[in-house]
Amino acid sequence: MNLPSNLSKSMLLAASIFWSVIIADEFDPDMIPYIFLSLIPIFMVSALVITLTICSVFWLREKDNTSKIKVFYTYFPYYAIVSFGFCFYFMASSNFDVFVVAFFSSAFITTSQSWVWFAKEKPHEKT
Amino acid sequence: MKRAIIIIASVLFGLLFYDKQIGLNLLIFSIITLIVLIIHDSKKFKERNVLISAIVYICTGVIVFINLSNLSIIANCIAFFTLIGVNSKSNTSIYINWLNGVYSTIAGIFHRNVDVNEAQQQITLKKDIDIFHWVKLLGIPIAFIILFVMLYKNGNPMFNDLINKINLDFINLEWILFCVLGYFLFSNISKPVCVEPATSLDLNTDNILVKSKNFSEETLKKETQLGTLLIALLNLLIVFYIVTDILYLLTNDLNSASALSNQVHSGINTLIASIIIAIIIILYFFRGDLNFYLKNTTLKNLTYLWIILNIVLIVLIANKNHTYITSFGLTYKRIGVNVYIFLTLIGLITTLLKVMNIKSLVYLLRVNTQLSFAIVIILSTINWDNTITNYNLYKAESFDIDYLIKLSDRNAITLYNAKANIIISEDNKGRIDQKYLNHIKSLNNKDWQEVHYEYFTVTEKTNAYESSK
Repeated sequence: MNLPSNLSKSMLLAASIFWSVIIADEFDPDMIPYIFLSLIPIFMVSALVITLTICSVFWLREKDNTSKIKVFYTYFPYYAIVSFGFCFYFMASSNFDVFVVAFFSSAFITTSQSWVWFAKEKPHEKT
Repeated sequence: MKRAIIIIASVLFGLLFYDKQIGLNLLIFSIITLIVLIIHDSKKFKERNVLISAIVYICTGVIVFINLSNLSIIANCIAFFTLIGVNSKSNTSIYINWLNGVYSTIAGIFHRNVDVNEAQQQITLKKDIDIFHWVKLLGIPIAFIILFVMLYKNGNPMFNDLINKINLDFINLEWILFCVLGYFLFSNISKPVCVEPATSLDLNTDNILVKSKNFSEETLKKETQLGTLLIALLNLLIVFYIVTDILYLLTNDLNSASALSNQVHSGINTLIASIIIAIIIILYFFRGDLNFYLKNTTLKNLTYLWIILNIVLIVLIANKNHTYITSFGLTYKRIGVNVYIFLTLIGLITTLLKVMNIKSLVYLLRVNTQLSFAIVIILSTINWDNTITNYNLYKAESFDIDYLIKLSDRNAITLYNAKANIIISEDNKGRIDQKYLNHIKSLNNKDWQEVHYEYFTVTEKTNAYESSK
């Protein structure tokens, strides 16, 4: 599994979604340095979530020689439904506060896309 | 063409829902969803299940417009997921339709992304979007339309006035992001996907039980003995309980609020739980080969008797709840108890059918989920706030005016019309007036996306409100 590539792409995707939502609500030029600084915590959070919740599934099934596409079709639907429910619950609980919406919408889209990237990897790609 | 439809639908989604409350917009959204689905796969709509789901979905949209309530919105959402699920695979159970519907709605685009990749890489190359063509297609007409509008504005004052009246303030970055959300939603549902292996497993599961290869007379004999003894004893116990309950009802005065409240609140939950356990016991014994055992007649008859006695128990519970309602009026909790009782009754009847016709557990799950869905839709057609208000004011022996005033605005007009005919304090009359005025004001302040049927029926009231200002 090409984890570094996946994590880098995920970080960029999460940051762009997160900041698009924040900037859509209010833009201040003073934010620009924070956009770059935020890449560090965004990378840490995405790395943690992706490694613990997505990679672990692929690693567990890798032992049985199950193909990545099959792992995707078997587990992704339930992962997507549960993670959507979880994200939506927190967004609704916060009364759709912009920061919370930005955080959880980027989390949901990034983790889902991360599944797709892992599933689309060619079999010989390794960490 | 299909992409253009999705883009138009997502812009409409932004127009309908951005910063708006629910009302007419949900009905229009239902129609747009249906159009998008028909354009993407019209052949599907020749199938009976898809057609029925589409009709039900539109009906729930109409119910939201006529009778705006949380329940009607929930019914519309469930009908939406059902329609999307039926579109992905039409012959599956309703709960699998919901699973497929939810999955398609939230993650269809991700699933299809892997689908395309898996099929052939050349598909991705072949279907690469011609961005330059799209820029030309959209950019050139827009540029020329803007240019000509600017020219015509100077030539005709009336045209100039009309153009100046077009309010495009709602378009901002947030609105555009909202449209992107709409695009994501419509892209997901345009080609619904299936959750595997759940869908194939469901398609391969029959409603009829089949005799297993490990059919053992000895084991079944022992199981029948246990079942017969257990259900016979439970029958005796329930008969004893029913007799004592009837005697209690006949000999005790249940008109006091505390006695009735105690009977209803503490008693009903326990009794309904006992009925659910009864269903589980029956399902355990009739889960497999016992259905085909020739000497199971006594056990079957005892089971039928037990189900009938449980139905008698339900009638007694319903009677207690009814007495409580006639004495102290309707509330949401009391309606909830009635729904709970009704659902338990349905559960018992379907269990009876399962045992009689040797059906599988999946049959029970399929039928009961379908019936629950139908009940949610039927219940959503009723304006419960109005029903509670009318019943409590005109039929119940007593009513709690504070409870009625605290209900949603959907009973504001009924309360306002009734206040002259009921004996309540001046303070409460003032609260009713205030609630009514707030309701009329909120109806008047609604945008066209938020209006619902009541908006069109209160013209006279609006005039009265205007004159009272």
